[in-house]
Amino acid sequence: MQRIKKFFTSKQMVTVVWVLGIMVLWEIGAFIVAGTKRSPENVLPHLYQIVQSVFSTKLVNGSQTAFQIVLSNAGLTLFRAGIGFLIGAGIGFLLALLMNLVMPIEKIVFPYLMVIQMIPILGMAPIILAITKDINKSRIVIAAILTFYPVATNTLAGFKSVEKEKHELMHSIAATKYEIYTKLLIPSSIPYLFTGLKISAPMAITASILVDTLQGGGGLGCMLSQSLKHAMTIYVFWQIVFFSAIVGILSYYLMSLIEKAVSPYKRIHK
Amino acid sequence: MKKIKEIVNKNSFATTVYPILFGVLIVVLWQTQILHKILGADTFTLPMPSRIFDIILANTDSIWTNVVATLIVAIGGLIVGSALGFMLGVLATFAPKWGAGGLTVIAAFNAIPIIAIAPIANNLTKDLSDNPEIRSMIAKMIVVTLTCMVPMSINVNRGMTELKPFSLDLMKSYAAENRTVFFKLRLPNSVPYIFTALRVSVPVCVISALVSEYFAEFIIGVGRQIRENIVLAQYATAWAYITVACAIGIILYIILLIAEGITLKGRK
Repeated sequence: MQRIKKFFTSKQMVTVVWVLGIMVLWEIGAFIVAGTKRSPENVLPHLYQIVQSVFSTKLVNGSQTAFQIVLSNAGLTLFRAGIGFLIGAGIGFLLALLMNLVMPIEKIVFPYLMVIQMIPILGMAPIILAITKDINKSRIVIAAILTFYPVATNTLAGFKSVEKEKHELMHSIAATKYEIYTKLLIPSSIPYLFTGLKISAPMAITASILVDTLQGGGGLGCMLSQSLKHAMTIYVFWQIVFFSAIVGILSYYLMSLIEKAVSPYKRIHK
Repeated sequence: MKKIKEIVNKNSFATTVYPILFGVLIVVLWQTQILHKILGADTFTLPMPSRIFDIILANTDSIWTNVVATLIVAIGGLIVGSALGFMLGVLATFAPKWGAGGLTVIAAFNAIPIIAIAPIANNLTKDLSDNPEIRSMIAKMIVVTLTCMVPMSINVNRGMTELKPFSLDLMKSYAAENRTVFFKLRLPNSVPYIFTALRVSVPVCVISALVSEYFAEFIIGVGRQIRENIVLAQYATAWAYITVACAIGIILYIILLIAEGITLKGRK
């Protein structure tokens, strides 16, 4: 009982009220659109219509319902995004480590890290597609490129943030370089690493969907553009919009969950 | 004093020369086609730098019109989004509980892929104007606005609330009004945070402008030209536009860094 009471006065409640407020705004918009447009579902459908289309059993492309299409294609896209994300995070962390270990590498690489984020992803996609000759590989590569940049810069910032006194302490007890890294630098860089991961997890998903729009052959982005061209019901588009939004947000929270699991000190502070 | 100067000089020498050397090395490898062998690409998909440069020089007029279109969208969206984000951040400061909750919801917006917002914005603006150029520009600007709003609102809120210890108590002991606290304490305190937000949102505004162009109705803008040229298998022209897009992002970022240096001069 007390738990319920606590819940209603908690931060979550505030969030719930906000989400409800946005939903009300959406519905007002949908009513206005429904009154003025000929095909309102293309512009702003009611939320219940979208929910309805999720549960409808009507077959859209002969064998699958709208939601089945979304799920089966989501598997394709998200799996690739996940692999790319892991590879990118690994490379990013290693690069940050290298940059911290070897000064010239930091001097060389850091300016280019700034430049990499300016390069439009979709512009690179066909080039990578031409090089790897496989859309799945290019999805992974692009998700990895997008992930590695924030991870590398944030982890490097984590290494740099360690106080001088701690370094001096480690030197005074004659710790080896290996020990300094494993006992001091890497543990203290973990919160920064997760900041990077939180930024890049939704980006990896975005990238993977974007690459889908380049070519046929499945994936959320492919279905999204097909649905926009009215090759199938427009509700597939709306479902993908909500699905990708939810997955993007969930990926962020997944990273926070993992962070909490691997760093116990975080629980004490909050 | 002289020693310090020498160290600084040596340091900045390393900071500028190493990356430039690396860049030159890459360009040389690229031009001599060694890079193609490493990546397994051909000169058709990965044209030589000299050819890309030639194309940029030959098409300055059409590139310039596309650059202007992209810049209007990116900077317009950046300004509107940052202004909205600033207002939200200030509002959240005055209503901490509800405001902070609202900010978490808005932060969740950040996780929504741009490609999901872009078509919606397109549909929403269909009736705003008869001119497709204007209405697709508004649609693109909405996307950029949404993406730029989030970092600004969160950072401004932090800048307004994460004050120096006891400074708020000091203001209270002076019996300062809320307005005075805002203008004399919170606003100056939030300036570095505004620049932190801009460091995030300036690159993001360029990227979201480019991506929203892919979905826009009216075919203009650097991003759209990349895609159109790739569809036409004009890889060299696409690379020229990619180069231009990178240049836009980098130049905007440098302008931001200079502005930051001037504004925060006395602070560090």
